[in-house]
Amino acid sequence: MVKKEEVKTILIIGIAGGLAQLTAKKLARKYPGARIVGVDTRGPGKNLNVKNLTFIQIRYTRSSFEALFRNNVFDLVYHLGRIPNTILLIEGLEKKRVKFNVIGTNLILDLCLKFMVKKVVVLSTSYVYGAISDNPVFICEDDPLRASLKYPDLHDVVEMDRISSNWMWKNRDSIKTIILRPCHIVGPNINNTINQYLKSDYVPVPMDFNPMFQFIDEDDMARVLTVGVEKLPTGVYNVAPDEYVSILQAKKIIGSSGFRIPFFLLGSVAGIVRKFGNFMPEYLVDYLKFACLIDNSSMKKYLGKDFFRHDTKKTLKRLSG
Amino acid sequence: MLNEFIKGIKYFKMTTADEKKISSVIRNLKKRYEDNSDPWGLDLGFIEKFYHIMFPLYRKYFQVKVHGKSNVGQKQYMVVSNHSGQIAVDGLLISMAFALEMRNPRMLRAMVERFVSAMPFIGDMMSRYGSVLGERKNCEWLLKRDESVLIFPEGIKGVAKDTKDFYKLKPFTKGFFRLALAHDVDILPVAVVGAEEFYPYVKHFRSLAKLMKLPIFPVTPLFPFLGPLGLLPMPSPVDIYIGKPYTIPKKLSHNAIDSLVDNHIKNIRTDIKSMLKEGLSKRRTSPLFDKLGIDVKRSL
Repeated sequence: MVKKEEVKTILIIGIAGGLAQLTAKKLARKYPGARIVGVDTRGPGKNLNVKNLTFIQIRYTRSSFEALFRNNVFDLVYHLGRIPNTILLIEGLEKKRVKFNVIGTNLILDLCLKFMVKKVVVLSTSYVYGAISDNPVFICEDDPLRASLKYPDLHDVVEMDRISSNWMWKNRDSIKTIILRPCHIVGPNINNTINQYLKSDYVPVPMDFNPMFQFIDEDDMARVLTVGVEKLPTGVYNVAPDEYVSILQAKKIIGSSGFRIPFFLLGSVAGIVRKFGNFMPEYLVDYLKFACLIDNSSMKKYLGKDFFRHDTKKTLKRLSG
Repeated sequence: MLNEFIKGIKYFKMTTADEKKISSVIRNLKKRYEDNSDPWGLDLGFIEKFYHIMFPLYRKYFQVKVHGKSNVGQKQYMVVSNHSGQIAVDGLLISMAFALEMRNPRMLRAMVERFVSAMPFIGDMMSRYGSVLGERKNCEWLLKRDESVLIFPEGIKGVAKDTKDFYKLKPFTKGFFRLALAHDVDILPVAVVGAEEFYPYVKHFRSLAKLMKLPIFPVTPLFPFLGPLGLLPMPSPVDIYIGKPYTIPKKLSHNAIDSLVDNHIKNIRTDIKSMLKEGLSKRRTSPLFDKLGIDVKRSL
């Protein structure tokens, strides 16, 4: 375990993201004497007001990361900078996204080892399991990552997870690494695919399927990243609360409608919706048919049963309006 | 004609006693399922509405009779049954019997084929009714949660029989017994008599099913000629026989070699076979079958 007083400098990659900023705030409170360095390709945003945080806008390239690690001594590194495929909307960035998520992750991990970082936290996602017709309820950490078999869009996400996992086990004696695969993170500060889908009235909703979903509040997720990772030993962890709601119920709680159509039309309508700028990736369509619920027992073993503070339905309610 | 139609509607109307029974069962089930649902999609609100439609049909259309209720204790079981009737109405009737006819109502979690879960509307309705994709891990999770599961070890081959094969048990798969061993859950053998006659004459076109990428393609005098209407089951009276619980051997490992497991599976199969034999000898018939000259007194 890394002692509190040993943490002097923390690196957060992807600090412009809502979850990263929440995490930074919590880290600043947890380690008041530590310096936090937040990097991103994007600007800092309006709300990045964290004590002891230095924001550096960098290009995600080998040279900029090497310079970053050479000029700082990091005790904790948070890799929260996975570029989501919503970026596909911006033409020409697809290759860069894949390059950063896959090759960039490998580089960051190697630099952590080279510059003797004490602990690395990688934020992956439960999307890596894929929404497959024979998914069991619940999917464990050891289950195969099948998303890339079906969705090319998620290939880089799966590859990033695999690279991190292999690297973690290979270097488990030298560096403590935690890989988190959270369920759908929701909250007013998060702007991921599922948040956009849940809040939008102009998205297709299946009338003949209604799978169960797990949602984690952004604040709970930030707590896992700060308080939680302190208690977790090296390993891969699914992160999800015990609660679950169906997709229709979730939209109902939020108060967004969407238009109900049979599932066989969903893919085509999602394609039309995409053209109007309302992002609905192809892979999301299957998540609206087959449940992809994850098993949280490994995480609960270390964090306890009552770690999460937020009720899923109340969290969804906060998204309304 | 109109009068007869109204009479028919009234015949299938819920009685006050039925309504009270359903309310009491749902109240009981609510204690078990927080928030009226579970991760597999069970929806008690839906089940309550569904029972309001189905219970009169269960009693008056299918005239279900349950034998051997005293064999069911207040505990978790793996219910293992023969499969019949082309569209798996037997599973629905067994689960209704365990929810509505037992002193301690339980929702049996029927393990269903993958193609059923992926069917529009039907997959969703089955999940809401408590059915679960027949995948080993799902079954394990359910057993860990003290749920009772309903398994048809004949699989799809059991439900899709030609008329000449009615009530002839297909070979049982072994997975269910190993799961019962691993979780130390007693097996309750069940035999359903009457469901095969939902479609008295059936011929399966297996190569056509393969060509159309369907799991089965039954042809009956009414299906596919009348479209979905042809799928409506005939009013064949159904008898559900519940056998004595098959106690799981304590010393046998769930990883034991096949030959050790085979004997037990054979015993369970024999139990079901003898219940089927007994059921067929006491087979009830319906006035409609008599009129149509359909002989339901078939032998094993």
